[in-house]
Amino acid sequence: MYGIGLLKGLKVTLKHFFGQHVTQYYPEERPNLPPRFHGCLTFEPDACIVCGICQNVCPNRAITIKSEKGGEDGKKKILTEYRIDLKYCMFCGLCLEACPKGGLRFTDEFELATYHVEEIGRVLYRKKVEE
Amino acid sequence: MDVLENLFTNIALYARNLLMEWSVSYSVIELVILFLAIIGILGLIVLDALILVWLERKVVGFIQERPGPNRLGPAGFFQTIADTLKLLSKEDVVPRSADRWLFLLAAPIVFVPAIMLYAVIPFGKDMVAVNLNVGLFYCFSIASLGTVSFLMAGWGSRNKYSLLGGMRTVAQMISYEIPLLLSVLGVVMIVGSLNLSDIVSAQRNVWFILIQPVAFVIYFIAATAELNRGPFDLPEGEQELVAGVYTEYSGMRWALFFLAEYTNLVATAALAVTLFFGGWHGPWLPSWMWFFIKVYFLIFIFMLVKWTYPRIRVDHLMHFGWKFLIPLSLVNLVLTGVGIEIYRVMGG
Amino acid sequence: MPRTQELHLNMGPQHPSTHGVFRCLLTLDGETVTQAENHIGYLHRGMEKIAEAKTYPQFIPYTDRIDYLCPMVYNQGYVETIEKIMGLQVPERAEYLRVIMAELSRMASHLLMVATMAIDLASSTGWMYALREREKILDLFEMTCGSRMSVSYMRIGGVSEDLPAEFIPACREFIQQFPAMMHEIHDLLSGNEIFLARTKSIGILPPDMAMAYGITGPNLRASGVSYDVRRAQPYSIYERFTFEVPVRYKGDCFDRYMIRFDEMEESRLIIEQALENLPEGEIKGKVPRMIKIPPGEVYHQVESSKGALGFFLVSDGSNKPYRLHIRGPSFVNMGVFPELIKGWKIQDVISILASLDPVLGEVDR
Repeated sequence: MYGIGLLKGLKVTLKHFFGQHVTQYYPEERPNLPPRFHGCLTFEPDACIVCGICQNVCPNRAITIKSEKGGEDGKKKILTEYRIDLKYCMFCGLCLEACPKGGLRFTDEFELATYHVEEIGRVLYRKKVEE
Repeated sequence: MDVLENLFTNIALYARNLLMEWSVSYSVIELVILFLAIIGILGLIVLDALILVWLERKVVGFIQERPGPNRLGPAGFFQTIADTLKLLSKEDVVPRSADRWLFLLAAPIVFVPAIMLYAVIPFGKDMVAVNLNVGLFYCFSIASLGTVSFLMAGWGSRNKYSLLGGMRTVAQMISYEIPLLLSVLGVVMIVGSLNLSDIVSAQRNVWFILIQPVAFVIYFIAATAELNRGPFDLPEGEQELVAGVYTEYSGMRWALFFLAEYTNLVATAALAVTLFFGGWHGPWLPSWMWFFIKVYFLIFIFMLVKWTYPRIRVDHLMHFGWKFLIPLSLVNLVLTGVGIEIYRVMGG
Repeated sequence: MPRTQELHLNMGPQHPSTHGVFRCLLTLDGETVTQAENHIGYLHRGMEKIAEAKTYPQFIPYTDRIDYLCPMVYNQGYVETIEKIMGLQVPERAEYLRVIMAELSRMASHLLMVATMAIDLASSTGWMYALREREKILDLFEMTCGSRMSVSYMRIGGVSEDLPAEFIPACREFIQQFPAMMHEIHDLLSGNEIFLARTKSIGILPPDMAMAYGITGPNLRASGVSYDVRRAQPYSIYERFTFEVPVRYKGDCFDRYMIRFDEMEESRLIIEQALENLPEGEIKGKVPRMIKIPPGEVYHQVESSKGALGFFLVSDGSNKPYRLHIRGPSFVNMGVFPELIKGWKIQDVISILASLDPVLGEVDR
């Protein structure tokens, strides 16, 4: 009969009207993120061998590595700065897979927005300059 | 209980006595009382709009499994006030190529008939601003004035979407006024009066929805169309016409349209309560409280319908109005006449 | 002397229901469309040109962003193209994972189509309910590969990560409750008389016209042509699964809408079978660290949620493609749109556009 579909629709919406919400009250209630979540990168400077693979494998060249010659024989590369430009990062995870030492990791930090475009880049490591 | 029941009438009585003591002439007293009534009604309209905007958001939120506004005030109640302040602080933009006067005047003009409707509605026992003997007739003639402002807005904006929206509005409102009027005629035939207070008092024992269920359904559908609410919100037609007649409006002018919509919503629901749900009749609670409980229940149904159904197509709307609702309401009218005659013959 | 005049209406690029930035120049007689013209390109990002500047694995994240609603299938199409030209073997488990993910992605995309269909007909409640279901699929993606939309899950020679332990129970639970949820949407929308009036017999696409315009995917199958790349040219391991190719015959908006539900049901069955037979083992085959492809060219097709998705790759022997052409199904499907909307009302234009389900990111690339 004409009109049954209309009444069925009203039944569905009325049922939901008295039902439970699915909303997550975000700033008060933190999202339950899975361990593999692609948030901001973290970096372990001790593991880094300054091979530069992550820099080359990144599709957008978001990673910049600076190094200097040093060590005992003066030939070993020593990391001075590891910087990721988050405005270019696609969070694809190619750098993680490429890293031979497993020095890169994703955290669950996802609130990466900044007020100014200059602030969005993130220095993950900077060598302390000795006085 | 009696204090609550007669709260508003007592205020009027008190004011009247006060003025009598000051020995003001009778016509001035009447004017002052009318003025008080208007202020009361305007306050009611603003309060209603504030509550309704919040309520609509809450209702649609609950339907869609989300909480709706919940940040400002208890359960987000002050969200509407914040929004109003925001709208008031916005720039009043007039498009360069718009017909300036039509564009500027449309928003206030849509609001005037919406307020005027309230003059004759009996909100409770002895609570009616103007007890007009052609109250119902007045209501419909005033309500149809709203069409003009939509046409003004649609034409004056010099925007194609607005123009299409304006044309739709006129077609829709004019064709849905006929079934709206015809559906109500059944009630008028039974009561034998156009005075809304008489119609209410005729429902002391039995609500007219029981006698005239078909008429109520027709009234409900036609009123939804008349109010431009979903599923008949073609003038706005967000998905195809961007915002229809409201496309070029911003800030408080847009809010006036919005306010008028809610004002009309309350007025239409109030009229439906008066005509079909026994007006302010009800046990235990004060009469005006009963009236508003019924009105808000009806508004809830309006909201539920709006947020459940997709929008109807413009030509289907016309077909439905002219080929289904009008014949149906005519049949209803004939049956009512026959029923009244039978009742008279049987009951003597 | 009163006269009537035709009205030119620029629908888009800023319009609530053009699914992105699509512009259609309509010529209107009252509310009826007499002439229409597509204007696309507002979302052009030069994907094909970007591919020429990236190494083969580097382009994988970009394939997510071509059709951002069905990223897994685009991943799959791209990596399979490269595997085809290199002759790489993909481990069994990786193939199954790809199928599961691609079908989940197809379901997500179809759910979004249902949702947009609902909201384009002004039923925002239907949109919310369909999106709520889609969220559950995105949660599954997030659990597996860390991202919800731009998944970048597949790699040349396999997939990036194995399933987490909680995936299979979660996926099974989703699949079990799915039909009930679809029933709810049917109750709310598909049986609604207003919805039926808005979609039935609207925008009829006859099969010969559909084939002449090169329409593929659900839009073609709704017109009565049973063509599915998964069945016609089975890729990956699709020949191992039993599934129907749903066909509907009228070719109107309602059929195009309903066929999505039929396809979701089939996808559901495929996922069930894949979860049942999921083998243990490696998830990534032997792939050289630096991928270089010998000079040559290859064309590979997969069935995306919008239709046949093809990648044409020309290699000059370096580690970057010489040319990568993408045959986007939405782009081709949009071609018929001006033809389809002639003679219909403005409101039908919206429902026809929604029923064609284009993704402007992919149309413009």
